Amino acid sequence: MKSYIIRRVLLVIPVLFGVSIIIFAILSLFSPEQRAATFITDVRQLRDIQGVIRKHHLDAPIYMQYFSWIKEVLKGNLGWSKTASRPVLEAFFYFLPNTVELSLFSAPFIILIGIYLGSTAAVHQDKSVDHITRAIAIIGWSLPTFWFGLLLLMIFYGYFKGLFPPESLGLNSSLYVNSKDFMRFTRINTIDALLNREWWIFVDALRHLVLPVITLTVVQCALVMRIMRSSMLEVLGRGYVITARAKGADEKTVIKKHVRRNAMIPVITVSGYLFAGLMNGVVITETIFNRKGLGWWWWRAAVQLDIPAILGAVLFNGVLFVLTNLVIDLLYAYIDPRIRLG
Amino acid sequence: MRELLKVQNLKTNFYTYEGIVRALDGIDLDVKEGKTLGIVGETGCGKSVTALSILRLILPPGKIESGKVLFWYKGELSVDLLSKDEVFLRRVRGNEISMIFQEASSALNPVYSVGEQISESFLLHQKRELYKAIIEEIEKNMREDNFFLKNFVYRFHKRIYKKMLENSKSLRIRFISLLPLINRYKVWLKKEVSRRVVDILTKLGVPDPQRIMERYPHELSGGMQQRIVIAIALACNPRLLIADEPTSNLDVTIQAQILDLIRRLKENLGLSILFITHDLGVVAELCDYVAVMYAGNICELAEVRKIFKNPSHPYTKALMNSVPTLEEKKLESIRGNVPNLISPPEGCRFHPRCDYATEICARVKPDMVEVEDNHWVSCHNFLRG
Amino acid sequence: MKVSITNRKRSEFKEELLPRIKEIKFSFNRFKKSPLSLMGLTLIIFFLGIAIFAPQLAPPKYPHNPYRIPRDGYSAIPRPPSPEHPFGTTEGQYDIYYGVIWGTRTAFRVGLTVVGSILVIGIILGSISGYYGGVVDEVIMRIVDTFMSLPTLVLAMALVSALGRSLDNVMKALIIVGWPSYARLVRGDILSVREEDYVEAARAVGCSNLRIIFRHVLPNAIYPLLIMASLDIGAMVLTAAALSFLGLGAPVGYADWGQMTSFARNWIVGPPDNPLAYWYTITIPGLFILFFVLGWNLLGDAFRDILDPRLRRR
Repeated sequence: MKSYIIRRVLLVIPVLFGVSIIIFAILSLFSPEQRAATFITDVRQLRDIQGVIRKHHLDAPIYMQYFSWIKEVLKGNLGWSKTASRPVLEAFFYFLPNTVELSLFSAPFIILIGIYLGSTAAVHQDKSVDHITRAIAIIGWSLPTFWFGLLLLMIFYGYFKGLFPPESLGLNSSLYVNSKDFMRFTRINTIDALLNREWWIFVDALRHLVLPVITLTVVQCALVMRIMRSSMLEVLGRGYVITARAKGADEKTVIKKHVRRNAMIPVITVSGYLFAGLMNGVVITETIFNRKGLGWWWWRAAVQLDIPAILGAVLFNGVLFVLTNLVIDLLYAYIDPRIRLG
Repeated sequence: MRELLKVQNLKTNFYTYEGIVRALDGIDLDVKEGKTLGIVGETGCGKSVTALSILRLILPPGKIESGKVLFWYKGELSVDLLSKDEVFLRRVRGNEISMIFQEASSALNPVYSVGEQISESFLLHQKRELYKAIIEEIEKNMREDNFFLKNFVYRFHKRIYKKMLENSKSLRIRFISLLPLINRYKVWLKKEVSRRVVDILTKLGVPDPQRIMERYPHELSGGMQQRIVIAIALACNPRLLIADEPTSNLDVTIQAQILDLIRRLKENLGLSILFITHDLGVVAELCDYVAVMYAGNICELAEVRKIFKNPSHPYTKALMNSVPTLEEKKLESIRGNVPNLISPPEGCRFHPRCDYATEICARVKPDMVEVEDNHWVSCHNFLRG
Repeated sequence: MKVSITNRKRSEFKEELLPRIKEIKFSFNRFKKSPLSLMGLTLIIFFLGIAIFAPQLAPPKYPHNPYRIPRDGYSAIPRPPSPEHPFGTTEGQYDIYYGVIWGTRTAFRVGLTVVGSILVIGIILGSISGYYGGVVDEVIMRIVDTFMSLPTLVLAMALVSALGRSLDNVMKALIIVGWPSYARLVRGDILSVREEDYVEAARAVGCSNLRIIFRHVLPNAIYPLLIMASLDIGAMVLTAAALSFLGLGAPVGYADWGQMTSFARNWIVGPPDNPLAYWYTITIPGLFILFFVLGWNLLGDAFRDILDPRLRRR
């Protein structure tokens, strides 16, 4: 088990190195002038752009630039984000809570609904339940996230007169949340509201969460479902399922105890990619619903050519992937004794 | 000799895209109490389908079309397993009729420890016995340990188990089982079950059962895995064991050990066995009766001595001749191929490969005839003469 | 004499192909039986028709640049469907009907170009990686791992912002983002096939590496590739639309579904007495995207069911 963990941790290094190369490749796609813009804080500097370029070695050979950039990153200096008006690292922690809140509320729905529907479809293979769930999954998979979110807004914000509004908090509650009377423990609205025992803020935050969570869930669920279904179908044909039936176990026990647990293994293996997929959804969802989280920030950065923020986004996702995969591998070992003990 | 299982005219089909595979074409078998019936035949002749059909474990696209599987349930009445409902069948499976499978490695669930998999059988069929044993155990403890606090806990646990004896699925019990600390009463069940698991493993000659039951299937050798599968099957003292080629994927030495184990079980427990194999040697060693199967039909059924002394069906003869012996004899192979079961030959399914085939063989399916005492053959050559 | 030889050859040829023909027939029959796959095919054909007959369905106002959506005035407020504008006009008086019709061409162009290029790059790199192994394999696979660790949309967003905002750059970005999964698939297949006897045999009789890859390895990998490609055409069009929607794709006024949806962003809520007044601005382009992607996904799903030996039990 220990060697397994060490092996997994060591595997992280090439990926992170690769991510840094990609980031730098993107950086070098920008012209020296565009990159120089990130260093300009004063109008007077505009007159001497070449000077700025020379000062920050933006015309130096690529590998030299790479090393000096890496050095800064390792020091924790990711540059200044103009869209967030603060350093990238600080901006990251500023925007993170909103995104964490959104993922925290969507992930359970995505996983539970996906697994439930997937296994139901597999158990009733080629029956009407199967066809219906599959049709739903394919439609969910084909839905343009941005369009679906807007449609929900049109109905639940427009037609139902502001039942589920966009943004992350209403005006009153956001004023109160940002005032001195409200303690910010985690900066996650729902959790802070609970800790402050301000129920109306909690309800308000939930109201603002409903549509984004639905949007993310509907789109991401389909993938989990599809993987779960095919993995269930494979496990259903295994010898130990027949053994369990021959023991006299009822169908419910067979499915729950013997099939589902084994079928979960492939789902867990790919859940790292699911997480990456979730980030795609987060960018779009936050943009549509105007929730000021990481996705929203990255969108602003990409549109306004905020280079340090863009690079920070890629870096963050690389690190996130690596971390989630580590967690997943440990979870994997928990479910599958062949790995735990192997 | 008392009857235990009687299969009558069993037909099972598989509805595939290519067509209907007639895997079993009217099988008749019977197993007597305490005896072993071997089924021999080539791969794909329907041996495993027979086993699965008896327990009604055939999955779609397969379907049992007709026939009867009479089982002398609790030793008195014969019931037709094919006409009973699922609930009844679940009570029979693993409890009255057990099954062991060809590949032990795939028959065991990789994510549960061996002990958990064996104890599942107990928990499925012997809940009442378990609870009774636990109540006795608690009472014994109460007598020995008079400390009032402990006594209080014992009394509480005893009450819960009594309640569970009446109705194990009552809402109150289910709620209590979720409460931490209070649901410590489950420890008794765990102890009792694992005691039984150790018992059965010891009975099967597994060394160090305490340690083995904590292991996962992938940590065990093939022979040990097969023993575990046998342990699962025998956990609830079934009256009939269906063994589907239990030794075919094992090394020869391990094979011998497992066969030896099965023979001992048969002698000590008086177990009736339906033993499926393609190995005539194993049949000779282990079985009392033999049924030879070909393409979904039984072609010869006899006492084991008689069939080896006097093989009557052309296919049986050919099968015997294709087994290597120590004598210097030319091995003979059976000409032609196993028929496609989607469009099997008309009449006797063996006739295209049969040296003695006549015109009638291609038209009419032969009935079983008794050529001597306890020796049945389904061949036109005997019908006529 | 000659005749008999060709006859013999023909019969041999037939015998050799028989299992394959049977297989294709089987697949075709399954395809015909599945209503979902037929629906997918119908959708694709429908959109193909729209794309082909776009000039007839919506005669361009600017023949030299048909992708530019004609405007009817400059008012910001969308106008509802009328005989002149069958689907109404969106923000800035762009004609929705014209936009979605010519947007179909854009969608096909994006989907086919991107997936086509990805297939080529993925097959080439995957073959190299799988066939030669060693350091080459290691390097290519680490690159693949890295790319696959990043979310498609975030990486594409970064790339488009670096390359500059245009539809061509969106396609470039999607190609860069998309090839790794194909390379991995092809490599895996090659690795599993490489040790097979028939490949050893082919090598023993002196087949060239290229020939082995094309004759023996790729035919085995072709079905999973087809499935993936079909599903990916939908996915890529979806991502491209998302990028356009986010303001990182097609320039303003270009016939593109994602862009048309973004026009609607300010009009999802109408005046208080009629909150759904501008429904057409959002619904119509969105439905086009949905059905286009749905078509490809249904097709891919049907392919998977038919061709995946693990899933076709009967």
